Amino acid sequence: MTTLDQHVGTRPIPNPKNSLITRLNVGTGLIVGIIFAIATYQGLAKVLDTSVYHLHNQVLLATMFMWSIGFLVGIGAFIGPIRWLIGKDLTAEEQLYMAGDGQGIKRYFKYCTDHKVVGIQYLWGVIAMLAVGGIMAMMIRTNLANPGGKFITPSVYNSLVGLHGITMIIALIIVATGPFGNFIMPIMIGAADMAFPRLNALSWWVLFTAIPVLCSAWFLGGIPTGWTAYAPLSVQAGPGMNAFIAAIIIFAVSTAVAGANVTATVVTMRAKGMTWNRVPIFVIGATTSVALAIPAFPTFMLSMIMTAMDRSFLTGFFDANVGGTGWLYAHLFWIMGHPEVYVILLPGVAIIMEVVPVFVRKPLFSYTAAIVGFAGITGLSILVWAHHMYISGWMPMLNGPFMVTTEMISVPTGLIFLVILGTLWNGKPWLKVPMLGVYAFLWNMLVGGITGLYLSDVPADMYLHGSMYVTAHFHYTLMGAALTGAVAGLSYWYPKMTGHMLHERASYISFWLVQIGFQILYLGMFIAGAEGQPRRVVDYAQQFATSNMVSTIGAYSIGIGFIILLWAVIHSWRHGKIAPMNPWGAKTLEWTVPYPVPLVNFDTPPVVTSDPYGYGRSAK
Amino acid sequence: MSSDTKFHVHHDAPEVVGRRERLGVRLLIVADGAFVFAMIFSYFYLRNLDQNGGWIPNHGHTLKAITGWLSILPLIVGALVHKLAQRDPSHQSSFSLITLVAYLYGGYYQFHQLANMPFIDKDSGAFEGAYASCWTVIASANMFHYIVAGFIALGLVLRSRRANVNPILESWRIRTAASWFTWIAVSGVACAITTSFI
Repeated sequence: MTTLDQHVGTRPIPNPKNSLITRLNVGTGLIVGIIFAIATYQGLAKVLDTSVYHLHNQVLLATMFMWSIGFLVGIGAFIGPIRWLIGKDLTAEEQLYMAGDGQGIKRYFKYCTDHKVVGIQYLWGVIAMLAVGGIMAMMIRTNLANPGGKFITPSVYNSLVGLHGITMIIALIIVATGPFGNFIMPIMIGAADMAFPRLNALSWWVLFTAIPVLCSAWFLGGIPTGWTAYAPLSVQAGPGMNAFIAAIIIFAVSTAVAGANVTATVVTMRAKGMTWNRVPIFVIGATTSVALAIPAFPTFMLSMIMTAMDRSFLTGFFDANVGGTGWLYAHLFWIMGHPEVYVILLPGVAIIMEVVPVFVRKPLFSYTAAIVGFAGITGLSILVWAHHMYISGWMPMLNGPFMVTTEMISVPTGLIFLVILGTLWNGKPWLKVPMLGVYAFLWNMLVGGITGLYLSDVPADMYLHGSMYVTAHFHYTLMGAALTGAVAGLSYWYPKMTGHMLHERASYISFWLVQIGFQILYLGMFIAGAEGQPRRVVDYAQQFATSNMVSTIGAYSIGIGFIILLWAVIHSWRHGKIAPMNPWGAKTLEWTVPYPVPLVNFDTPPVVTSDPYGYGRSAK
Repeated sequence: MSSDTKFHVHHDAPEVVGRRERLGVRLLIVADGAFVFAMIFSYFYLRNLDQNGGWIPNHGHTLKAITGWLSILPLIVGALVHKLAQRDPSHQSSFSLITLVAYLYGGYYQFHQLANMPFIDKDSGAFEGAYASCWTVIASANMFHYIVAGFIALGLVLRSRRANVNPILESWRIRTAASWFTWIAVSGVACAITTSFI
């Protein structure tokens, strides 16, 4: 395989004449994808009676998958594999063309293999998903502002809860490893690119095809199941459920490909001298996260395939009448579902750990403890899934052991906390926006973690399960900690990704609006939940009115804060202050390359001679 | 955002690329392994639960244990022949062709099994019970393995007949393919053992 790995000089812009790849882009992808989808629907609708429930599901699922395959055909994702198959490998010039060499902004709309382009594509994909998920959240909170809210109908509310949940979960899974794992991480380890550049592009464009599939749920009657899609409810749900199933299966493929790629990159492509104890902590966190996702997501994929088979082929995995059980779904879902929390959380935590030493000018306190913390969380996270099933009736005798493993996970989490606090200790923090994110993270993670301990406790969970308390708890961990970490990462690496500083005043305003609104929203929700308000229910009793109104006010504050941040991101991209090469005075490798970052990142392969956090220490 | 600066392309050492590709494939095997493990877990979970006697309902059909073994036999043959191709590169083309034929036959046989399952109610189209459901998902996974393996084996056959491939890198590709072929044989055996417990 030819790779782009050394900057040797200048050459003409590649123009592989008569090569199909020069003619393919998002436009051709959309056209071919839509043609495939329409042809599949029309063709199958002629041979299958779409008025029959399960046959209609077959037609819809096939249409959605063929859309995805058609798009990938149309954008050129299969050119590499086909050329490999026939023994006519891509030429060096074609590979350069696919890397986007000399193509300006057009490369963002092509099957581009440059990891920096893929990082930017992920960034805007994440922003779009967070925006859509956020709008759904605002609609939910608006309806819940007063008891008996009529802003949306109960069925729309039901769909919104599920679609908001799954949109945000997907967005948060990729919020850090997508943009920063692709753009920044290879540079951080001194690599010229990812291990498998074509797979890198594939992971993004596969994910891209899942987005319209998921959105189509809205036009197919929505999903009434919440994001957990519990069977047998999901088996009995309307046609919108097919969109959910197809989107998850497509997303799982993207995740496996991305996970293998990131892990192989970090293991095999680190710069000379970058021993494992010199790897930046963000790289460790991101790699741990994707490595955890590799075995976790296939079980979710299988649960979705089984749901699809029950719906479309009348199998009996989850139907008790024919030997199935909903417990099987719960197991398969939560075996993925709880590690997935840490797939989301670890990169955010790692960003915070990356930021702290830079802004207090101190070495990371106990790098080893941080690694042990990551390893402990990763190991324990696969042993805690059944704490989501305490009250399902499944094996009550195992509630105790699962309570213990769940509570044990607070030990490695505490280690990570201590590493951050130890780094802050006696430091003189430089209070820029990324650093504010550190303090917000610590508070939110503390609240999220401690409330999680109550939920891991069987007697307390018996009361709190299914209440707004749970909703508030996981928002504190996923949004308050993971998303806050990602936003800190955005403000930290924005100069390297765009060449401009993020608008500082707007970022400060956004930060405070979001964080204050966040506390108002979810502390209000904790109160309502502790008093007994059930989650996912469109209406509530008068006794919860005040806390819900308070929560809705907090939600609007968050919404306004994120709109301001979005404005800052867009405005600064073109009009922001030009960023110096290393605006924060950091020591990791990404700050040694200029903007725009060269195609192969480094003029000469870097050699690492010291650890990345050796502030105030001589190189060793 | 990356620059439009122009760069020269050169080749990584084949050993480096080979090791990298093999690691990538092994990581994908981990993902596939989790999927296979989840299938086996589901099979035994539903079998032992036997919810409402629905694992194999009254008058329900089953397949003999040997059926599962027959369907995965070509996976084992393909993996073994591919091992020979690794040991004797001078006959790699012929061995790869045998591997391809094994996978094509196995794929056909698996498809035939799936197309002639006895446990679907002809009137309603519904599956008879949980055993039938689990058997189908396992057989479908085997079918998927045959398709991927067939694609790889076809590529190795076609590439071995072209002169412009890097022989060192190609030998790494054969070793990388061996990881996948070995894994699908192992997973096939695990699935065959599973479906032997009816």
